[in-house]
Amino acid sequence: MSKRKVLQGNIIAAKAALAAGCNFFAGYPITPSSEIAQFMSRELPKLGYDFIQMEDEIASLGACIGASLAGSKVMTATSGPGFSLMQEHLGMGVMAEIPLVIVNVMRGGPSTGLPTKPSQADMMQTRWGTHGDHPIIALYPAFADEIYTETIRAFNLSEKFWTPVVLMMDEVQAKAHEDIEIPEAKDISVYESEVNVPVDLNIYDREIGEKPPRVDFFKGYPIHVDSLEHDAHGWPTIEPNTVHKMQTLRMQKIYHYLDEIIEYKEYEMDDAEVMIFSFGVSARASIPAIQMLREEGLKVGLFQALTIWPFPKRELQERFKRIKKVLTVEMNMGQMKYEVERVAPDDVDDRALLRANGIPLTPQEIYNAVKEFYK
Amino acid sequence: MEKFEEQANEEALARRAKKKPSPKRNNITIVPVYCKGCSLCVEVCPTGTLLLEDNMESKFGVSIRVDAEEYCIGCNMCEDRCPDFAIFVNYEEENNEEGKK
Amino acid sequence: MRDYEKYIRYRTFPSPWCPGCGIGIILKAIAMSFTALKIAPDDIVVVSGIGCSGRMPTFFNTNTLHVTHGRALTFATGIKLARPEKTVVVISGDGDAMAIGGNHLIHSARRNIGIKMILVNNGIYGMTGGQCSPLTPQKFITETTPYGNIEPKFMASELLIAARASFVARETVNRPRPLREVIKKSFEHKGFSVVEVISNCHINLGRKNKMKDPITMCKWIAGRTVTRAQYDKLAPGDRNHKYPVGILQEDNERLEYTELYNKYIIPSAQEAARKNGGAK
Repeated sequence: MSKRKVLQGNIIAAKAALAAGCNFFAGYPITPSSEIAQFMSRELPKLGYDFIQMEDEIASLGACIGASLAGSKVMTATSGPGFSLMQEHLGMGVMAEIPLVIVNVMRGGPSTGLPTKPSQADMMQTRWGTHGDHPIIALYPAFADEIYTETIRAFNLSEKFWTPVVLMMDEVQAKAHEDIEIPEAKDISVYESEVNVPVDLNIYDREIGEKPPRVDFFKGYPIHVDSLEHDAHGWPTIEPNTVHKMQTLRMQKIYHYLDEIIEYKEYEMDDAEVMIFSFGVSARASIPAIQMLREEGLKVGLFQALTIWPFPKRELQERFKRIKKVLTVEMNMGQMKYEVERVAPDDVDDRALLRANGIPLTPQEIYNAVKEFYK
Repeated sequence: MEKFEEQANEEALARRAKKKPSPKRNNITIVPVYCKGCSLCVEVCPTGTLLLEDNMESKFGVSIRVDAEEYCIGCNMCEDRCPDFAIFVNYEEENNEEGKK
Repeated sequence: MRDYEKYIRYRTFPSPWCPGCGIGIILKAIAMSFTALKIAPDDIVVVSGIGCSGRMPTFFNTNTLHVTHGRALTFATGIKLARPEKTVVVISGDGDAMAIGGNHLIHSARRNIGIKMILVNNGIYGMTGGQCSPLTPQKFITETTPYGNIEPKFMASELLIAARASFVARETVNRPRPLREVIKKSFEHKGFSVVEVISNCHINLGRKNKMKDPITMCKWIAGRTVTRAQYDKLAPGDRNHKYPVGILQEDNERLEYTELYNKYIIPSAQEAARKNGGAK
């Protein structure tokens, strides 16, 4: 019998992390994500697991990566300024192929910005924040039950593809108390990877496009893990062909498996003439707008992206074959709208409804913006 | 060779002149490809057993020569001081760590 | 094969450091300490940051991790918390420990987490070409202090003593046997331990300051080395140029962080769980 509870969004994410097997949390408090750290500080020790509040966000991700290499399933949670600090270590997680989940609860920015107000202004930073060429997986739930399932999916993807995964949320859903039915343990599937250190310590060796094998410290073979560019053994290298191969391996391990990574939801899209592209709190506001428009006979639908990065390019291009009007709705000064513009063919009328003043976009405003298409 | 290397050799020979050959025969193994001719072992050897020499086959241009192995007293200071794992004293002996204190 | 060679990966030897650089001596002393303590290579992890001393781990035949600048202690904290029974060693240079990593250094000392730190103090940023560091003595010429360094140097061990680190020691590369002994003792210490090793960078620091060969620079270091007893007898004005060596602070009473965690946090949490009917 599953349980219905009223829970804060942050707590839903934290509970889902425990259900996914998270046993290590290192974090630093920052509004509006501190509840996750506080919950973990109470619950992880009850299970005999590790919690530590580090001296800053940089130290938090450092400790997470260290624990991940030592065999733990790790998570941290932060917001804008902390996420900026974490970029260097996020890049290290990508370079050294280390599974971890980073929760970023988006608030008004840039810099200290609006600590207690929502935004969706870290979309591009999530993709490009860290330096160098790197792929990234980023998920963004909208509804309370999606927070639970997407958190578990974040852990599963990070274990499968041996990469950091960013779980994006916004301050609205993170702080809102909503009722949610917690799934039974038997109804969720948690991916556990097998540890498999090759005898010759060739820890990164595989074909281009293959999923990486799992390697940890203390499994009988002393391995080397490096933030420098390295060859298949992990030794630092500058040999051009090796560097190119490693770059390609890291890109392809994500881009070869888009079918397993990209997820989305659609509302009233079957006969839609106008598509709203949105995510998170803006997607939630779009649904009442669509209901209002449908009552007037206007054929409008919503494409809600659950996987933000890699961007659902193929999926959108499929829809652009018959839908020629798209409205990107986001709480920022224009970020994902550029992605939509990039993938939309020339005959598509692409517009955006944007705002970045800390107030979420309302269904009425979305309704008005869609009506503009029909003038 | 540089001036400091020649000086190290002179001082080593001066130290050796005051000693006699050691009663127990010790042997010194050098790994030529690791030796950079840095001169630290020459300076630290109390009996002046080791000297520097020009060596065009080494990519560092200078390397170590065991000039008078019979003077080696087996104190292991050269092995302790070598940063490059290029010199070992009585390499074949077992239990080296406990033996040499 | 020598017993300590079991802990060495020769890989790309000759080693990457300059001829006469003291880092190789420290590498050997650490390997000898592992040997004396008979720890299995797979039960050790050596973590380092960026810099010349940060190149040491690739040559240890143990689990090794080379991370971002200044943050080695944070990674080591995560590893130690996850696997408290393993030996976690951190090797840091000037910048890693006292500049960008300074904050993590004092927090690790405060927490008394059982990490064994080797702080290689050569007074310069060697890897990047010879810029000054927080450990460069005053008046020295470096790439970023061409008119002489006006900033006084940190005394790293004394800072850690003030931070109440539970094991602080200092040695130099001129004294490989005491160095080995003190590293072995620091590995046996349960809490956070730091061994600061004064090393010579004659290529980047010495060369601009009239010490361009290793022998001259090592003699300069020896001239500044005093025992703790001698240091205490010096007038305060004369202490500025001296490095007291030996074990400078040792507190075996303080509980190590993971011990504290297992002794207090987990039982309290499990008690709370029992009272509230299990974890929610």
